[in-house]
Amino acid sequence: MNRLAAARRRAREAGAEEQGQIEGASPERATKNVARSSESTRVPEPDWLKSRRDAALELYRSMPLPSTRSEEWRYTDLARMLRLDDLVPSAGAQPGPASSNGDGTVPEPLRRAMAQDRDSAGRVIDIDGSAVSVELQDSLAAQGVVLSSLREAVRGGDPLLESLLATMAVPASDGKFAAMNAALWTDGVFLKIPRNVQLERPIRLSRWVSHPGTATFTRILIVAEDHSRVSFVDEILSPDFEAVTLVNTAVELFSHAGAQIQYVSLQRMGKGGFYLANQRTLAKRDSTLDTLNVALGGSVGRVDLNARLLGPGANSDMLGLYFGDHDQHFDFNTSQDHVAPNAHSDLLYKGALDDSARGVFRGVIRVHEGAQRTDAYQTNRNLLLSERAAATSLPNLEIEADDVRCSHGATVGQLDAESLFYLMSRGLDREQAERLVVLGFLGEVLDKLPMGGVVEKVTKAIEVKLGHVR
Amino acid sequence: MNDKAILSVTGLRARVAEEDLDILRGVDLNIRPGETHAIMGPNGSGKSTLAKVVAGHPAYQVTAGSVAFQGEDLLEMEPDERSQAGIFMAFQYPIAIPGVSIANFLRTALQARLGDDEELDLFDFQELLMERMELLDMDPSFAQRPINDGFSGGEKKRNEILQMSVLKPALALMDETDSGLDIDALKIVAHGVNTLREENPDMSVLLITHYQRILNHVIPDVVHVMYRGRIVESGGPEVAMELEARGYEEYRIAHAV
Repeated sequence: MNRLAAARRRAREAGAEEQGQIEGASPERATKNVARSSESTRVPEPDWLKSRRDAALELYRSMPLPSTRSEEWRYTDLARMLRLDDLVPSAGAQPGPASSNGDGTVPEPLRRAMAQDRDSAGRVIDIDGSAVSVELQDSLAAQGVVLSSLREAVRGGDPLLESLLATMAVPASDGKFAAMNAALWTDGVFLKIPRNVQLERPIRLSRWVSHPGTATFTRILIVAEDHSRVSFVDEILSPDFEAVTLVNTAVELFSHAGAQIQYVSLQRMGKGGFYLANQRTLAKRDSTLDTLNVALGGSVGRVDLNARLLGPGANSDMLGLYFGDHDQHFDFNTSQDHVAPNAHSDLLYKGALDDSARGVFRGVIRVHEGAQRTDAYQTNRNLLLSERAAATSLPNLEIEADDVRCSHGATVGQLDAESLFYLMSRGLDREQAERLVVLGFLGEVLDKLPMGGVVEKVTKAIEVKLGHVR
Repeated sequence: MNDKAILSVTGLRARVAEEDLDILRGVDLNIRPGETHAIMGPNGSGKSTLAKVVAGHPAYQVTAGSVAFQGEDLLEMEPDERSQAGIFMAFQYPIAIPGVSIANFLRTALQARLGDDEELDLFDFQELLMERMELLDMDPSFAQRPINDGFSGGEKKRNEILQMSVLKPALALMDETDSGLDIDALKIVAHGVNTLREENPDMSVLLITHYQRILNHVIPDVVHVMYRGRIVESGGPEVAMELEARGYEEYRIAHAV
């Protein structure tokens, strides 16, 4: 059975199972609400896109909000956390660029975050789901690198969009939120690196959401042609919100033969932020497609990451780092699909959780029939800093080939009194001792972070959180 | 209370928090600056408990008595305050802290001893660390290893003495530092302690041990025998020799409950 059919079947089953079970939220009404206003501001779009959006909307309407009765959403109760009814679409309703300030300026917190970035080959600034600024080094543009807002890219008519946007990587059939994004996206980033072009410095996307109670739909599409190389850092910030504020992001990454893509997500939203991301990586022969998800902000963060190893020699390192406090809730749902033989994937997700924060990790390594000599690893480790914090870890293997090397492991540990006493007996106060233990624990991931200010940014953010913990 | 004592323990009773029975049942002990005291005693006599209570281990609860350090009430102080005041405990079972290098840890510990407006000189620190590692026959790469993570027993004990020699305490509590060391490692550790004593003649040492062996290398001024939570005999190094020959049998008879 192909993937699309499987997803449709899943959706049907889920629908049959949950009919009439959704309380509070009325996705139907929300869709109409969101769809109507986005249509009214949409610039004329090519027919393929219109019909793709229409089909996605149909699918979205046909799928119920995932409930905790489905395995994949067991620990994230959407019915309690998210009322689609109450959301107002972002960007679509906001005319003109840089809508948050109305005068085209970049909000101060985002400006500060950008100032910490040491080097960039290019940058897109996205405010409330609208790319308001796109910059790329002239020398790269001359070599054929394309960095553009998604709206502009559609207008420009690059055939890659019609073939790749919401088709193979994150199609509407993937689930309710993938369909929602495919139907309602307002903007995003299109990045194409031509054959043999290797970028030394990262391309950055700096995102900001300004209005409480809004829903923002963004897509990122990156294509690295044969033997090219690019690193992309996607950072999102927002103020604290009184009302739940949704950001729905679809990330589609394609690495062709021998190419290298590194995608980094830095989620640093304020309180009230509900961050949903569907990320798919498609790695062809001998290519490297690495991802890193850092979750520090928002009230709820849910990332669905599917890495597909499609060609022999493909490689995906998948790193995750999260630090939750107060009542933050982070949920990672990952899969490593080994379709081709001789490919390698290695996942390491580590998180520290304080106060009543909650961490959920659910990961599966799927070795498909014929994917011999697969090397696939999966590790999730959690450190609980408070009695009320909790972590759920569900690693899984589905192996249909016989010549493979796979392993998985999960741990949930406490910050123990003996470690703290040991450090304090050398003169460190409690806060310094906790800081060392937490940074030491997360260090295994921090050590692998890319250059360009990411480590400093993440370390600083963790220290700020540790500082006000007690 | 002895005015000249750096550490003055009086009538100290303590137990594991939330348990019913005192492990220390009235300990009296005075250590003067520059003195080295050894405490010997059978398993369960309370030797290690005494060291941990002095260092401020949160698992123990003091039920009576007092502990003064340089005239200050030690029992009112947090473990980090005790450390900053000049107390150091070499752990019997050092704790592993994954991901935190020895160098980073010691730098943080030294910086914590300085004021907020004072910055530790990193070159001086590096020099001190390297010199101390050489003293303890440790490879320089050791400084970059995560604290006690995957260390052998001997490496852990040496790491304790390394920390002690960098932090330069006024009072060193050595909790069975000799246990699990072969004779070569024991000599290196003893040499480290003796070098520190020579550098700082005012440094006091409280050495907790089962065996007389280490006392051949770190010569004590006073040897105490601890039995059932009390110090039952004190004297010169000869007490250790006698214990080695006779064992604890006579105390068992004398202090039978």
